[in-house]
Amino acid sequence: MTGNVITIQPSAPAAPPRSRGFWEGAWRRFRQNQLTIFGLVTVFAIVLIGLFAPQLAPYAYDTIQPSDALQGPSLAHPFGTDTLGRDMLSRIIYATRPMLIVGVVTQLVGVLIGAPLGLIAGYSGGVIDWLVTRLIDLFSALPWYLIVLYLVMVLSPSLQNLVLALTITSWVGSARIVRALTLATRERDYILAARLIGASPGRIMLRHVLPQVLPLLIWSFAVGIPVAIFAEAGLSFIGMGIRPPQPSWGQMLAEAGAYWQYSPHMVVFPSLMITLSVLAFQLLADGVREALDVRAG
Amino acid sequence: MTGFLIRRFLGIATTLLLLSIFTFALSRTVPGGPWMQNAEIPQTPAQIEAFKIKYGLDQPLIIQYLVWLRNALTLDFGVPFTAPEQTVTSLILRALPYSALIGGLAALLAVVLGMALGMIAAARPNTWIDYAITLWSVVIGTIPSFVMGFVLVYIFAVKLRWFPTGGWGSARHIVLPVIAFGLPAVGGVARWTRQCMAEAMSSDYTRTAYAKGLREHTVMMRHVLRNAGIPMITQFLPLFPAMMTGSLFIEQVFGLPGLGKYFVLASTNRDYPLVLGITMFWALLISLTFLLSDVLYSLIDPRVRLGEKRS
Repeated sequence: MTGNVITIQPSAPAAPPRSRGFWEGAWRRFRQNQLTIFGLVTVFAIVLIGLFAPQLAPYAYDTIQPSDALQGPSLAHPFGTDTLGRDMLSRIIYATRPMLIVGVVTQLVGVLIGAPLGLIAGYSGGVIDWLVTRLIDLFSALPWYLIVLYLVMVLSPSLQNLVLALTITSWVGSARIVRALTLATRERDYILAARLIGASPGRIMLRHVLPQVLPLLIWSFAVGIPVAIFAEAGLSFIGMGIRPPQPSWGQMLAEAGAYWQYSPHMVVFPSLMITLSVLAFQLLADGVREALDVRAG
Repeated sequence: MTGFLIRRFLGIATTLLLLSIFTFALSRTVPGGPWMQNAEIPQTPAQIEAFKIKYGLDQPLIIQYLVWLRNALTLDFGVPFTAPEQTVTSLILRALPYSALIGGLAALLAVVLGMALGMIAAARPNTWIDYAITLWSVVIGTIPSFVMGFVLVYIFAVKLRWFPTGGWGSARHIVLPVIAFGLPAVGGVARWTRQCMAEAMSSDYTRTAYAKGLREHTVMMRHVLRNAGIPMITQFLPLFPAMMTGSLFIEQVFGLPGLGKYFVLASTNRDYPLVLGITMFWALLISLTFLLSDVLYSLIDPRVRLGEKRS
């Protein structure tokens, strides 16, 4: 400011109100919903637990101590111990990792595959559109968990294969909504104008169509996470997911097996964690939907 | 209408054909197979060879597929590897009643209870009762059915001893699985109902109906419900086949011999004929329901004309 001689007029009007853009409005709506904030805080806490699992867990997740088996909650083991005497709290803490990996990675990759596919199919039409639509139909003709189960069976159960199998099905949702919206957007006048001034199809798709479908994509990503978490828990529960000794909440429920009626803590804590994390991500997704004004369908 | 039906049936046939090729190829290209499953009983190469010849697994893949396809068209899906004394079709038909009964009742529970709650919430928008129902719907919808199963069994079977913990036999065996399966689905139904109703209630024809002095009951039944019913039917009808084909998780918790349990067993045992049979059966059922809901859609909504080209 030293070399500047421009005087600031004291009577200058206050800065004109900035035009509230779409994203700013969305952020304001997002903040205002208390349930969304609850979801956000919980998700943040879960992510922290997953990141700092080695520091937080009082024991290793695979230390077997048969003399301590099937203890209820105590000071030494706040969540009790399982049939092999492993500390339940430590296993629950470590199990946030596969849950987060499955939830976030599968949906992120799904959107990254599904969006371009839907965009290209919807915009170019013709043979490509027919092929992509058939592919979407193929994956919609079955409950997704069957396809996942089938793929996991073929690939043999493990975290990597579970992620792979869920990714193979998770692109379908984003591909379908992006294709539908692209079909509708393609006929709009401003797309025609862009085409008339000679914009390339790639540019039109990236600069003119993609911004239209972006809110839907974000919502599709957010709403897929609780579904994927549920899938991980369910598949691990029936023995087709995370392999022991790696802990997973669903697998811990299955391990409770015949003992749980006498040691309910083996069921209570994993169940609570599954429900809490699905709920938190679901509330977050609902908040995103309302904030971005996405019509659920 | 006829043209529409023919086109849709051709579409379903194409999808099923592609699905069968996909599933078949996947199952036959992975290394290993049912003969490698039983590690305790070592099998000689000659025995494996005999097994392969018996089930035609020594033939080229394309021949295997065409033989399977020819038989499948006559609803003959072959013989399960794990239960050679039966056929895949008879096994599906034997397991189906368990799944259909539990799933059908659970879907009914979800639709009836969910629609009732959704309508109550929509009729009193932005009151405490609306918020309470909406919050409850979100929470109940996030509880996995197998967790719900554990909770119900612990309270009503282990502690209160009102119902058996699992198994099959009497009407009392059905209650807990149906509730555990149906209750988490109630949340979704209630939220969708509330949304459809709210949309219909904020439309111009509803305002007109009120303006010309119709009673609330008449407006609700004649105008709101009929319009909101259209998206509801297309959403809720597929619930029935989806749930009647069984829940892998519920059947696991309650030890029910339904389709889901057989699918898991077939998957772990690499019983390809059974996996393929159940998959095709499921896909056919789901495709037909989508078709049925489209037809119903056109019957309720005179604006929809089937057979017009849709994007």
